[in-house]
Amino acid sequence: MTNQSPPTTELAGKTAIVTGAAVGLGNAYARALAHQGVKLALCDLRPEIYDLADVLPTECHAWQGDVSDPDHVRAVVDGSREVLGHLDILINNAGVWGSSSARDDLDKSEADYAKIVGTNLKGEYLFGRAVIPILIEQGTGGDIVNIATDHMVTCGTPWTVCPNLETCPWGTQPRPTGGGDAMDIYDAAKWGLNGLLYGWAKALAPHGIRVNQLCMGATDSHMLRGFHNFDPSPEEEASWMRAEDASRVLIELLQEGAMGRNAQNINFCVGRPVALEPPLEQIYVRPDQVRVTPQS
Amino acid sequence: MTTMQPGVAIVSGAAQGLGRVFSERLTAKGFTVLPFDKDPAVTDLEHGMVADVSRREDVERVLVAATRLGRLEAVINNAGTWRRTPVQSSWQQAIDDWDFIMDTNLLGVLLLSRAAVPHLIENGGGHIVNLSTYYVLPARSSGTNPPETDLYNASKWALNGFTDAWAKTLYKHGIKVNGMCMGAVDTAMLRNFFPNGAIPPEFAHTLIKPHDLAQQLLDIMASGRTGENFGAWMGERVELGPQPPIHQRITGPAHHGR
Repeated sequence: MTNQSPPTTELAGKTAIVTGAAVGLGNAYARALAHQGVKLALCDLRPEIYDLADVLPTECHAWQGDVSDPDHVRAVVDGSREVLGHLDILINNAGVWGSSSARDDLDKSEADYAKIVGTNLKGEYLFGRAVIPILIEQGTGGDIVNIATDHMVTCGTPWTVCPNLETCPWGTQPRPTGGGDAMDIYDAAKWGLNGLLYGWAKALAPHGIRVNQLCMGATDSHMLRGFHNFDPSPEEEASWMRAEDASRVLIELLQEGAMGRNAQNINFCVGRPVALEPPLEQIYVRPDQVRVTPQS
Repeated sequence: MTTMQPGVAIVSGAAQGLGRVFSERLTAKGFTVLPFDKDPAVTDLEHGMVADVSRREDVERVLVAATRLGRLEAVINNAGTWRRTPVQSSWQQAIDDWDFIMDTNLLGVLLLSRAAVPHLIENGGGHIVNLSTYYVLPARSSGTNPPETDLYNASKWALNGFTDAWAKTLYKHGIKVNGMCMGAVDTAMLRNFFPNGAIPPEFAHTLIKPHDLAQQLLDIMASGRTGENFGAWMGERVELGPQPPIHQRITGPAHHGR
């Protein structure tokens, strides 16, 4: 990660909270932001989060805890504001994957709900709701980026079609929704993020705050390696997107600033070039409802 | 159309409004209905039970009672809560709002469905229907949902994950899983949002009639279709419409023809 551009962009000097930053995508996002000169507040369940904070080339603070715990969220957000003085960006990344099925018993289902919905939906809700009043009060805009999944993405409806894309694994038939049988709670949590995306984007546009979502496809990450029992086949591994490329998209999204896109699900489809593409037509909200008013 | 052999149908949130109409209509169709609700008014209905869908013990009681009545065939996940949840609410309010909305609208659907699935499998099939909102379908939903309903919308968006995955998992057991995504329905609950219960006339005539949705529910169960979100639009005829291609069954087509 040492070959990135020096911190010369407009992101330098801004501050960001990145949740779930110890490993995988969150780790890559944190590194990319640090290399842009963004000051960071990081959190994770894992104690390794403190090691990451030590090695990044920027002011960096770390908290260990569970994003589904309101007290942890409050501690991170209030602590971040105290040490960083100002909050600009929230990367709502912390997420877990666990197998769950319609045939599971109630014991397992209650535990899965607490863990998977707790982290992937409640955690993002709590972090958003803790940060939003601060961003509004500051009056200088900001960015919230939720991390979702390509399980919510289909071909053509509601989003893109890629004509004649030879690398697309869905070349012969349109890709349907969903990750598979064993992901009902994971998928529910991630689909739920759309409610936060559109609600927040509408409420925050007048305050100069953008809300967007990255719908990650299979990306080389701790979570995906875990899904493959940390022993993926070489073919699987070769098909994955790289976290560094996804981070570049995140940085480009943030660099757009208040005049950039809002209320967008940004797709990462396997087989498609990993790049920040032009914004898509809004179909769940009216464009005027999410037009951002830049703040001073 | 397949012929239904009516068995037992569980309807959550059946004390009033849509849940009550669903219960009455399913009963008229020959189902043995177990309606339940937190609201004791549900006990007016035959077999009505006071139970909270977000409490596991209550859900287990409902299943015991329902399976005593006969062969479980349908679960109608109708119970839902709604409240405005503005983004600038206090921290404690935000935490309370999460529980208020999600315990019923998401956890409740999970608990009731999970408890029912083993019985549906044992009985060789059946139906799960999840009540959602037209906000999750594009085009005609554009812009109508207010910015203060992040949690309600999240709870309904989340049901897409259940409807989609359950349809895939349970298809081989003959269990059909669908969503009903409706606009504003003419119910007592809706009237309570307006001063003196008076719905503005220009709005009132576009409201969806509960009986039309009850018919849509029966049509969905009779259709053999699964893994679909069925829309119902204000001011328009409520119908199933043609079956979309597989990649549009949850999301709907991007643009509805008028």
